Parts: sequence; structure tokens; C-alpha cells
Amino acid sequence: MKSTAKRLGRQANWPPQEGEIISVRSSTGLETAILKEVCWGLVWRDFILEDGRVIPEHRVSGCPQPHLWRKVEEVTDREREECEERLLSMAGAGMDPRKRDQFFWAELNQYLAYTYLKFKQAGSEGQDSERSQTGLESRSSSCESNEV
Amino acid sequence: MSRSDEETEEQRAWRVLSEAGLVEIRLDEFAERIRDVKRTVMIRLRELMDFDTGMKERESAAYSLGTLKGLELKVLANAPKPPDPSKL
Repeated sequence: MKSTAKRLGRQANWPPQEGEIISVRSSTGLETAILKEVCWGLVWRDFILEDGRVIPEHRVSGCPQPHLWRKVEEVTDREREECEERLLSMAGAGMDPRKRDQFFWAELNQYLAYTYLKFKQAGSEGQDSERSQTGLESRSSSCESNEV
Repeated sequence: MSRSDEETEEQRAWRVLSEAGLVEIRLDEFAERIRDVKRTVMIRLRELMDFDTGMKERESAAYSLGTLKGLELKVLANAPKPPDPSKL
């Protein structure tokens, strides 16, 4: 996972390392925060800040263009199922996705984006869904350390 | 050259999600976006059933539909109540 993330379009000094001060775009403008860790979601990377907020990579200042996103076929069934279980669990516990930059908000955003891309693309391209995933690399949605 | 030829896969995904309002969902639109995604999954599921193909994808679509339905119900149940007009 770490090695895959490093291989894929990593620019010099990106992503920032744990403990670094980063600039993020928030609803109130650009602000600085301390990075705790970087995690792959189903589609993009989330930056978890020391204060607990979860910021999608594309809102972090200096994020490389084009955005480095996973392909839907890289996400395993197990990974998707685990995400669905977490979402239903958080929803069942009464968590509210309307709390911006919190875990439920972040994970639900990614799940909806992933699901839409998966079935929209499959429908529009007529892809054979039975194709084997053998050989497809997997960047599971877990956190990575950021040492260069 | 068509737009799709010029776009990278990432750029296309970004455009598709942006057009669908799914890159960053507005806080008051979660229930609506869940319904949109459900609709997309249902369309795909219907295609798969019509052509009797893609058993694995069918299962995946059906499972996702169940999850989306569950999330929709919970999100709606937890939605902040609009102000009571009689009390305004």
C-alpha cells in the first residue's frame, strides 16, 4: 500500500509528512492545520488532521494535478463491504453526515462517489462485470505513513 | 478529437463526479445524492437483469442498493426537523 502510493504519481514532497503544517481550504477560507495521517479511501486520499477533521486531498493546498485517484476496479469486494458496514454502523449510531469534515461525512462522500462511478461507468461502457480482478493492484483504504 | 479522448481517466472521473454533485456533497443534499446514486445502481441492475449477464456485478449492485437504502433511511431519520410553521 505504501509502496503503491509512492509509485503512483507521487511528487517530491507530496503527500506531506505526519506532523507537518498544511494549508487546507475550508468553508471559512484557507487555514493551516497539523497533519496527523493520510488514508486512502475508496476513491481519493483523506488527510486526517490533529484536531480530528478529515479533509479530502483535493482541498489541501499544493495537491498535485491531475488528482491521483484510485480506479474503481482496484477496490476489492471485501474493502467495499467493510466500508458499507462502517457506514451503516455510523448511521445506526445516529451519527450525522451533515457534520462537515468528520469521519462519517468523509466516508459517505467517498462511498457515494465510488458507487456512482462504478455503476455509471459500467453502464455507459458496457463493461463485462465478471472480469477477473486478478492482477489488479489493490490500494486498500487504509492509512499510510508518509516517510519519503 | 472528442472530449473523452483528451481527458485522462482521473479528469473524466472528476468531471463525472462534479457534474453529479458528488465530489463534495453539500450538507443539505445527502439524502438527494443518495437517491441519485440509488437510481444509477438500479438502472445498471436492470440492464444486467435484462441481458441476464454479470452475476457478480448483479450481486454487488443489489448489495449496494441495500446499503444505500439503509443509509437513506438513517440519514432521513436523523435529519434536522424543519421549524414548525405554527410556532413561527
